Parts: sequence; structure tokens; C-alpha cells
Amino acid sequence: MSTINKITIAFALIMLIANRLSAQEKKTYVNSIGIEFIEIQPGSMVVGKFQPTTTKFGFIEQYMTKESGDMGIPVLPDSDYALSEELSKRDALPGFTVTISKSYYIGTFEVTQAQWKKVMGTNPSFFQEGKVSNADQHPIESVTWNDVQAFIKKLNKLEKGKAIYRLPTEFEWEYAARAGATDDISWSEINASAQIAKLTTQPIGQKKPNAWGLYDMLGNVWEWVDDYYNEKIFADPVPPKKGKEHVLKGAPFYGDVKNATYMTHAGGPGSKYDVGFRLLMELVESGKPKAESR
Amino acid sequence: MRYVLILLVSIGNLCHAQIPDGFTPLFNGKNLKGWHVSRSTHQGTTPNFHLEEGAIVASQQPYGQGGLLMTDQTFRDFELYLEIKIDSFANGGIFLRSNEGGSAYQVELVLPGGTGDLVGERIPVSVPAEAKDREKVWKAGDWNSFRIRMTGEIPHITLWINGVEMWDVIQTKNDFIAGATEGMIALQCHWTAVYSPAASKGMPLSSWRPGATHRYRNIAIKKL
Repeated sequence: MSTINKITIAFALIMLIANRLSAQEKKTYVNSIGIEFIEIQPGSMVVGKFQPTTTKFGFIEQYMTKESGDMGIPVLPDSDYALSEELSKRDALPGFTVTISKSYYIGTFEVTQAQWKKVMGTNPSFFQEGKVSNADQHPIESVTWNDVQAFIKKLNKLEKGKAIYRLPTEFEWEYAARAGATDDISWSEINASAQIAKLTTQPIGQKKPNAWGLYDMLGNVWEWVDDYYNEKIFADPVPPKKGKEHVLKGAPFYGDVKNATYMTHAGGPGSKYDVGFRLLMELVESGKPKAESR
Repeated sequence: MRYVLILLVSIGNLCHAQIPDGFTPLFNGKNLKGWHVSRSTHQGTTPNFHLEEGAIVASQQPYGQGGLLMTDQTFRDFELYLEIKIDSFANGGIFLRSNEGGSAYQVELVLPGGTGDLVGERIPVSVPAEAKDREKVWKAGDWNSFRIRMTGEIPHITLWINGVEMWDVIQTKNDFIAGATEGMIALQCHWTAVYSPAASKGMPLSSWRPGATHRYRNIAIKKL
């Protein structure tokens, strides 16, 4: 093989990889209701890796100076800090690898009140016009997991032959929310991208999107996913077949940096006005779904 | 022998302060029937609320993760009575009119610190309150009784510790999310650790000293 050929092949490979990466950011689809989706490429992630922090003063350390001293934060005996290290090691979890083997489309935004009204002709939300402005662009809330199934059923009828809709599984949701991140999200990044510490829902898409272009994955409303809740701190590699409640991901508008992370594994029922959802879509090509429906 | 036993039981009952007349128990002293753990609070979703010697004991589980134990019922206008025994360097609280995610008014339980103060959890409090005279009535390392009266759409709240009024405040507006006028009573065990150092350094360890507990007994309510 000539050197020129080798360079040509290498260049072609680089272009292929670059195209794939840009496809991750750009391949979008808007359905007949106006709901926008972004295609998510296959890959893998580690879920439920628990490395609990152990510090004397926690996040307050960053504000401490020589002048400020300990800022009135109590100092415990050294044995307590040693014990915290021991307990942290005892309770740490290695997590487990989850492989996403097929591409799928996920909603760029949470489903809005306007979109719900278009499909269902009703609006169960608490934060309607009068309580907030621009309510049409706020996420739909006060919907149970079963209400969402009714919405999906109706949307699937409307879009028959074009696409199949369902709730994402917890892993599909978390994989999209992580957008390639291997560790937890930093508090500064949470503050930039998540609608938290508010008193009402907020219009969708106002904060910074994640690395794959998805908005409000964290904050604004909790999002229903397909799985049953296992009553544990994190998901199991195989979700339970039965349960009392379904899993909630993403944290609410009044959430805290503590739980507005893609690692949070919460459970229903939530507080009604703080629960909504986003959709997963599989495109149908020549009468058959592109990706296999579960 | 039987008389000795009866005598011992009687002495035991005398040591236990009793639920005031007209109040209905919220806690049966045997199990956590009528209570549940919040699955959607940032405090943590897997706290260890368990029973020891007829009292509810709150502690973290796993390390660094707290949580909320909430009544199944919601209450609007009420008087709440309960007895509390708290370790130092452990931040808890009695949540009033809480939603499922733990947004509420809170009577703080923290030593050293503002035990008995009225603060907000995920909401502001228009008129906060401080239990300035708490130390005058406080029994260190022992059980202390709290009575909290809460009424009105715009809340009017009064706190008594060991029978002595600490404060009486009328808010200037309804601070609750969605203008809620009712909610759950909840008991808080504070979190200290985040899931990974990549997120942040978490809370100071003194927010819940390793192995610390809060204890609650004789929890009762009178609907008004």
C-alpha cells in the first residue's frame, strides 16, 4: 500500500469518526405535534458508582480564608473524621456497566403543556397561565405514570407509520443525560444547566443544554421513566418486574444541587406539580420500526 | 412479683411524659404504620428510621445519605406534640405542611445551633422565628417536648418547648409552593456526602456526625 493510500484511508477514517460525533449533536427530528428529538448513538456507561465524600467542612471550605478561619463550622474530634473515612469505604459501590446497543431518539425538551393539550385536549398542570406566564412552554406536570401511558397511546395513533413512542428506560434516560460523562456532574455545571431552587416550573430550554444538546434533563420537573422503583439508592442491573411506584429522574424546580444529578434514582409519586416526562422515539422505516421496540 | 412488675411499669409510665388530652397518637410505638420514607427528597431516599425502646430513631444510611420520614396523612390546621432526644452535631428538623419532596416550614433540631428556630426548607419563610429562650428550659442530653400549633392559609404558628412558649408568629403571606394549605409532618435526618467528589465536597461533617441519631416518641396530633 502506498503512503498516499495510507493517508487517504486515515483521512477517511477521521472523517467517519467526525461525522459520527457531529451526528450525535445534530441529528434531530420534529414530529407532527412539534415535539423535537435528538438521536442518541449506542455506547456504554457505569451506573451507581458510589464514592461518598468525606471532608471536615464540605463545600464551605472553598469560602474559607486565613482571616475567616473555620467560619463557625464546628470541628469534631479527629476520630470522627477517621470514622467517616471508614464508613465511606464500607458503603462505597463500584457500580456496573450498562451497554446501550441501539440508537434511539430522545426528546430535546420535557413535553410541554401546549404539546399535551394538542394530543389530549386537556391540561392537568397546576402551573397554568395566571400562575406563571408563558404556561404553554412550561413542562406538563401533575401527570401520573398511567396518564403518560394514555398520552403515548394517543400519540402513537396520531403518528402511526412514522414513529413509535414510549417512555425511556432509566438507563436510556441516564445515558442521554450523562452525554458521555463518566463521573458525576459538578455543582457549577448543575447550576448552569438545571432549573432548581425555584418556586414554580420554568419555561423549557432556558438553561445550558448538556453535551448532546438536551435541555432540562436536570431540574424543572421530575421525569417519569419506564422502570419500576426498587426502593434502593441506585438502580439494579436488571430493573424489578413489579413495584409500587415507577422511577423518577432529574429533580424538580425546587430541587437542590444535592439531587439534581443524573445519578439520582428517585421514586414516585412525587408531589404532583413537580412530575412530568420526556419521550423516547423510534423512527419507522418502510413500515417497520428502525430500532426494535421493547 | 406481679406487684413489683406493676410498680415498675407505673414508674416507667411516670418517667415517660404523656400525650396531652385530646391528641391522637401519630406513632403507635410498635412499628412505622402511618409513616413512609420520601423517595423524592434531596436529603436521601434510603435513610435508616427504625424503632428502639418504643421510640423512632433516625440515622443515615448509607454513609452520608439522610432522608425524611413522613406521615401518610396531610394536615392543615393542627397542634402537634412530640418528644425529642438529639445527639449533638446532627442537623434534623420537624417539617410542617411538607410536600413529598420535602419542601416545607421547619422547626430546626441542631445542637449546638438554632434548635427551635423556624426556617424554610426549599422555600423562604416570610417571618422567621428564633427560640431565644430555649436554653432556659432545655434538658441537655434528655427528652424535650415540642408543641407546635399551625393554622390558617397564611400560617400562624406557635412553638412551645417543655410547655414554655418560645415564639408566636403570623406570616405575611403563604410561602408554600403552589400556595399549599396542607401537607405532611416529616422528621429530617440531614445528608452530608454527595455521590462523588466530582460533584462537590458535600456538607460539613458536623451536619450529621458519623453514627449520630435523633430520637422521637409520643408523637400525637390534634386537628383544629
